[in-house]
Amino acid sequence: MQPKSPPNPGRRKFLTYTTSYLGIIGAFFTAIPFVSAFKPSAKAEAAGAPVKVDLSKLLPGEMMTVEWRGRPVFVVNIPKENTNFITKNLERLADPNMEDPSQPDYAKNDIRSRKEGIAVLTGVCTHLGCAPKYYPDAKPEDFDSNWQGGFFCPCHGSKFDLVGRVYANVPAPTNLVVPPHFFEKDNLLVIGSDGVS
Amino acid sequence: MKSLFYLIVISSSFLIFSAGEYRCGSMECDNFKADVSDKASLQRGLSTYMNYCYGCHSLKYSRYKRVAEDLLIPLEMYENNLIYDGSKIGDLMEISLTKEDAIDWLGAYPPDLTLEARLRRPDWIYTYLRNYYPDSSRPYGVNNRVYQNVNMPHVLEDMQNTLSESQYDQVIYDLTNFMTYVADPSAEQRKRIGTYVLLFLIIFTAFAYMTYREFKKDLK
Amino acid sequence: MSENTIGKKSLEWVDSRFPVVDLFERHLSKYYSPSNINIWYLFGFLLLIVLVMQILTGLWLMMNYTNTAEGAFSSIEYIMRDVDYGWLIRYMHAGGASAFFALIYLHMFRGMMYGSYQKPRELIWVGGWFVYVLLCAEGFTGYVLPWGQMSFWAAQVIISLVGSIPYFGEDLAIWIRGDYIVSGITLSRLFAFHVVLLPILIIAVVFFHILALHEIGSNNPDGIDVKKHTDQDGVPLDAKPFFPYDITHDFYALGVFLIIFCSVIFFFPEGGGYIIEYVNYEPANPLSTPAHIVPSWYYTPFYAMLRAIDFPLFGLTAKFLGFVVMAAGIAIFAALPWLDRSPVKSIKYKGIYSKAFLAGFVISFFVLAYLGSVPPTETKNMLAKVFTFIYFAYFLLMPIYTKFEKCKPVPERVGDPA
Repeated sequence: MQPKSPPNPGRRKFLTYTTSYLGIIGAFFTAIPFVSAFKPSAKAEAAGAPVKVDLSKLLPGEMMTVEWRGRPVFVVNIPKENTNFITKNLERLADPNMEDPSQPDYAKNDIRSRKEGIAVLTGVCTHLGCAPKYYPDAKPEDFDSNWQGGFFCPCHGSKFDLVGRVYANVPAPTNLVVPPHFFEKDNLLVIGSDGVS
Repeated sequence: MKSLFYLIVISSSFLIFSAGEYRCGSMECDNFKADVSDKASLQRGLSTYMNYCYGCHSLKYSRYKRVAEDLLIPLEMYENNLIYDGSKIGDLMEISLTKEDAIDWLGAYPPDLTLEARLRRPDWIYTYLRNYYPDSSRPYGVNNRVYQNVNMPHVLEDMQNTLSESQYDQVIYDLTNFMTYVADPSAEQRKRIGTYVLLFLIIFTAFAYMTYREFKKDLK
Repeated sequence: MSENTIGKKSLEWVDSRFPVVDLFERHLSKYYSPSNINIWYLFGFLLLIVLVMQILTGLWLMMNYTNTAEGAFSSIEYIMRDVDYGWLIRYMHAGGASAFFALIYLHMFRGMMYGSYQKPRELIWVGGWFVYVLLCAEGFTGYVLPWGQMSFWAAQVIISLVGSIPYFGEDLAIWIRGDYIVSGITLSRLFAFHVVLLPILIIAVVFFHILALHEIGSNNPDGIDVKKHTDQDGVPLDAKPFFPYDITHDFYALGVFLIIFCSVIFFFPEGGGYIIEYVNYEPANPLSTPAHIVPSWYYTPFYAMLRAIDFPLFGLTAKFLGFVVMAAGIAIFAALPWLDRSPVKSIKYKGIYSKAFLAGFVISFFVLAYLGSVPPTETKNMLAKVFTFIYFAYFLLMPIYTKFEKCKPVPERVGDPA
């Protein structure tokens, strides 16, 4: 037989649409577990949990590399005499006032950190992801005859100052990222968490 | 044809009735009904487990953090009071006892108990823990009515001797309840979601049925 | 330009390059199904839905599963605990396997009851039978993957069966295992079969099955050829277009099925030990066999046949003979189109013998299913022998009883008095 015209087209239309939309809503809800299953699992979260670092052995001028979520985090103890350079060099920087949100609000200050003299930086160049090298001393270098101390990326020559702010006219677009961190005790740094406060 | 259908129903019900025959060693299992929504019971059970069982029996498929969150224990409190070996809160609940040492000291390797309540069912655990009896022929001086000649000493013996029978039963109830939870931690979430899913499906089916009836009118 | 014309134009654009309109008409809006089909005709659609669900959930499980003897068991618990909604995806997959078999048995029984395997639908039936065989293999390989005690010992028992083949059986079993016992090597290859080879074959054969069906059209409870009587446009009088009449029925059925299915996976995900065995919560241990090893419920009829054969015959060992009988129990379905000599299709119009033998088959299927799931005793073994005999009698005596029994006349058109 061939389809007939319905006795009550309004009712048919209403029922067909309602059932179809309910089906679409159901398919949408069914997708939730499948989408959620792609999020980092408890195992990945545990592996990416905050890392505690004891800084009592970190002497002035030294840098240590800490792994957090599989990436290097540079923790630098900036010597007193070098802190002057941080404010001296601003005209050569691309974003000295840190307009770009590459740090938590509490680190949007001259020291880009929660503690004077300690820089906490993700060691991933914002250009193409290489790990920049640490050149702490203000002395002429091959890549910069007027070097004021900081980080230099060997891959494509990007330059950053001691607190990770990028120089102007280098490939890297933004400052090195400051990861969330706080000091649980004076010398106990926690990377990966903003702390309770 | 109807009779054939009834036949199938009858024969399948006979299949279902034959299942679920379960015995606890030499005796019937005691009646045990878990209540994993009773967080206080689970917390007491966890504390008993960590103090009396965890020295030998790991819960290595579970994570401290999950247990803390599900049992509504603040993470910091959990970390300070219930993690003894410097593990992080996100770690699996593994113990330091190695297989070689265990066989050396205890003669057997105490199994991981994360899934024990799924493997043996909760009523078995409940009955087992309440049925130790003195037996001088055994190395630890105890035997068990549920698990004859078991290698495990009666680690809760002191507790059983000092507590009244109903208090001891409560301790075992809480412990078994906790083991039921840890064997299937998603049970509560599962039932909650399941209720919503079924409600939705009933609405969907009702409309699908009316749509079906609506189109069926054409075929008369 | 209104939206409607844009839609129309894009449809024309696609249609002149790929026949969407033609496909829609041929398989949905102008695909006609008999007007007298009943609830037994809903299971095919549900099977298709379950197939899609198994592929999706399987894909997601595979992302988190580890196919090594060391990692398999804990990776299942990783899925159940650490992966967001991993428990739901796994319960859907495990419950889906049981649903798949429940539905396919109902679907097969429909075919047997209404003679859907008869001419001209032999290839549809044989294709469907092949899907069932592949599904048995898929179920078995999947069952091994959690690498619990049941997984391990099921693999051990099933692969040992191959060892019963005379002359080269033992070598063949070692070749299949890739090891002298079931090991991580075996697990890896069963995993590869489960996630790649068998699903591809199942999808291909299901596609063939549906294409073949849409060429011939559905049978119906009366076994009437609805293509005989058409109106002036060539549309069959006793049939209706699949879209919208069957699709609305199918969606209603889907709702009912999902209510049952979700009640199980959300509230009884282990199915009382029938969907996920309790013993499988203990990691595989090659040195200790569990007290009762039972296959999944959907294999128990054949497992009972295997155990029923405890005597050698014609120079074949009991072990090999049991294997042969079990395999024959599955294989013999494929021969149905050529065993049935009845002039009518549906059981409604067949004679008393066909009805009695079909009833005998159903009873023996259920009794064997029960016997295969409980530990054997002498009485139960005797019963298993009797019902194995009845099971095969249904098939093997069919050429005789269908030829000589008296059938009722089949009405010419749907609704006509018989």
